[in-house]
Amino acid sequence: MNFEAVIGLEIHMQLNSPTKMFCDCPNMPADPPNLNTCPTCLWLPGAIPVFSRNVLEKAVLLCLSLNCEIQHESVFDQKVYYYPDLPKGFQLSQFHKPLSKNGWLDIVTEEAETRRLRIQKIHMEEDVARLVHETENHKQISLVDFNRAGAPLVEIVTEPDMRSSYDAMEFLKALRRQIRYSGSSECSMEHGTMRVDANISIRPEGSGEFNTKVEVKNMNSIRNVGDAIDYEIARQKDSKEKGGEIVLHTRLWDPDNKITSPMRGKFSGPCIPDPAVSTIVITEDYVNEMKDRLPEMPDRKISRFIEQYGLTEQEASLISSELDLSLYFEDTVKKGASPRTVIHWLTSTMMSCIRKRGLSLSDSPVSAEDFAHLLGMLERNEITAKATKKVLSRMFDTDKTPEAIVKELDLKQVSDINELDALVEKLLSGNHDAVESLKKGNEKIMDFLVGQAMRESKGRANPRVIAEIIAGKIK
Amino acid sequence: MEKDFVYMNPDRRSREENGVFSGPVARLQPNMSVEGWPCDAGSAALENYVALEDATVTERLKEGDFFIKGFTRMGELGFGLRGDTAAGAVCGGKADIAFLTDTLGESRVAASLKGLFGYKPSYGVVSRYGLIGLVPSMECYGIVSGSLENISKTVMIISGFDSRDPSTDESPPDFNITLDMKNPTIGFLSQCMALLDEKEKEAFRASLDIAREAGIGVVELGFDDFSLMADVHNVIGSVEASSSGGKYDSVRYGHRAKSDNNWNDMYIKSRSASFGSIVKAYMLQGGYFQYKAYSDFLSACRIRARILQKTNRLFEKADLIVMPTSRRNLSIDIQYSISDIYKTFTFSLYANITGGPAVSVPGLAITEDTDIGFQILGPIREDRRVLSLASILTAAINRKGAK
Repeated sequence: MNFEAVIGLEIHMQLNSPTKMFCDCPNMPADPPNLNTCPTCLWLPGAIPVFSRNVLEKAVLLCLSLNCEIQHESVFDQKVYYYPDLPKGFQLSQFHKPLSKNGWLDIVTEEAETRRLRIQKIHMEEDVARLVHETENHKQISLVDFNRAGAPLVEIVTEPDMRSSYDAMEFLKALRRQIRYSGSSECSMEHGTMRVDANISIRPEGSGEFNTKVEVKNMNSIRNVGDAIDYEIARQKDSKEKGGEIVLHTRLWDPDNKITSPMRGKFSGPCIPDPAVSTIVITEDYVNEMKDRLPEMPDRKISRFIEQYGLTEQEASLISSELDLSLYFEDTVKKGASPRTVIHWLTSTMMSCIRKRGLSLSDSPVSAEDFAHLLGMLERNEITAKATKKVLSRMFDTDKTPEAIVKELDLKQVSDINELDALVEKLLSGNHDAVESLKKGNEKIMDFLVGQAMRESKGRANPRVIAEIIAGKIK
Repeated sequence: MEKDFVYMNPDRRSREENGVFSGPVARLQPNMSVEGWPCDAGSAALENYVALEDATVTERLKEGDFFIKGFTRMGELGFGLRGDTAAGAVCGGKADIAFLTDTLGESRVAASLKGLFGYKPSYGVVSRYGLIGLVPSMECYGIVSGSLENISKTVMIISGFDSRDPSTDESPPDFNITLDMKNPTIGFLSQCMALLDEKEKEAFRASLDIAREAGIGVVELGFDDFSLMADVHNVIGSVEASSSGGKYDSVRYGHRAKSDNNWNDMYIKSRSASFGSIVKAYMLQGGYFQYKAYSDFLSACRIRARILQKTNRLFEKADLIVMPTSRRNLSIDIQYSISDIYKTFTFSLYANITGGPAVSVPGLAITEDTDIGFQILGPIREDRRVLSLASILTAAINRKGAK
């Protein structure tokens, strides 16, 4: 029998709001342990949670970026469970009335078809404290770090619309791009600001039934999610073919051995409305205000880039993959550089300079204007590609303009025919064998001669002009 | 230490001892946070817990030049009045004002038993920040005093918006007592009368007569849902208690039972040893509704909403609702079950369900051996109305006494 997989995802995103969800403590979970705490997020007796407006803004922006309908009223519930990372005995989460419902994202499937994947709901919840297990005097101890306690999360629950690991990975990439554009989360699986659980079941191909699902956790990259799904589909098929039953349980992905293994039975407590946090009422005006705050989103931007700058779809998608990249691209183009040159230099050399220095494009010391001037010199053949790299690298370390650096390092490309003619004349007269070989049609010799000329000119000669002169002389 | 106290302000100045200090004396319960004081809320589950900061009410009392003398004894987590010494203190003249957590009507019942005024402000008028409670949607600070004037002045000081408690209203209502109410009408509930014994009925009717003599209109009203009141409070209260009591895990404070096993074992043993039998039963009951009978909890929430609606309609027929505060021959110290406790607060818990203001007036509804208290309930934020009527009726008794 042929089986098909039915996959739904549950994604936790940590919002990058300045404060935690129910107090004014900084939302900086990675700070030294227990630095960002107060009676409210330590859940001490007498404290009352006060829902932060700045968290709501981020959450609404996120929901809107995923085409979700914001609910007029949403309510926090207490999800009751007892564990040392949750000393108040319940987690504030939205169960009965979530913030948002009915979203979607389009993906292009492996078969190159566009498919709309539905998002069932998005709700807000607070993160719990972090447990650190250590040994002290040969005894195992557990420590609790409350920096993360009360950090704002949203949980995105999809419909079971995905049929393969490919679908799931494409969905996650699209999701991450949309949310990063909205500016509400860093969406890093590596840093734990994006956590993905996958619910997987299988059914005979073509049947509409939904069978018992298995939840897989602990993936720390999108690639991992794909691998874990593939492994789990294969495991379930194997089990079915051997006549086994699939039972509802949770499995952990082991990235080193690339397998999933069962984890402790999942305990889910009741969810009761929280009496302390007020109902969140969201007006249409508020939603519109938030919509206006969203930047131009990727789909629209890609079409515009294709039309306005004559890019291919691939180029437009590449340059729109991150908001700051697309903004920097457009700024540079507006300052006079040609779009294709900008894409090439921005995505390769510029980004590698940025990453090497541990920066992000938005805080790059090289302005789009200077970058455009640099690329302008390259386009006008005033400097070589090699020199362009050198100048760009130098621009990160000084405040000087690219023009000043070119002058300082004497990198101005020589395109003057007379000057280059003399250079070539001298070169050819010293390389008789090479000239003969070239005349006989050995094309590789041309590269050698151009290389020699470049060396002679200390890299400043325009290689294209050199090649033209050589070709003219040996005719 | 005086027997009424579990903790006394190390600053021992008082009016009697030190003429310099002239502010009113207030007593708090040990679930009302005072920075640096041991706030155990009358429970071993909070043993050694020291408040890190003042409750908003504490802060405002200090700013209002009140002298906080200490913490009185209280029933565990403010649920019921067992062992409570707050009202006794005011009665003995040792404090101008005592605060009691009013979850079921504790401040009003305690006051009626001691011949004092007991007042529960409207919900959302006084910040609960720093109040270590049990039933967040129904509890608030209650005030007990021998003087309505003191109560009115005190609530003016402690009320008002608090950014740390989102349930507080933007601006506080009016608390100024006026003796000049325009032809007020009070309504009593027939369902409530039916619950009284003959002596109680007689006493309550006598107090209605005093009201009539003072020119107040009296009407009889019907309220079918009155009999459901205690069950609604009991179900919702226990569910809230179960989750708000979840934080007492004996890790950072509280009584820690000896356990060599895993943390779950430590939790279970510590929690078993920490709570008294009534609070434990109440939390377990709440757990039952959470885990096994959630739909019953939802029904209770629906009935509560209906009670609120019907109450609004009652206030279209009368300006205020009146009923006794407590019962004859109550003995609050020998209560062994949740139902014993609920019987004690049959008449007072109504205001906790609706969140409206209520005051218990002494000297009006008196049987031969007990003052059962005359309770005045108003629409939410109409605190001025209940306090003013209390004042008018008190003046009427005084006039009668003088004759």
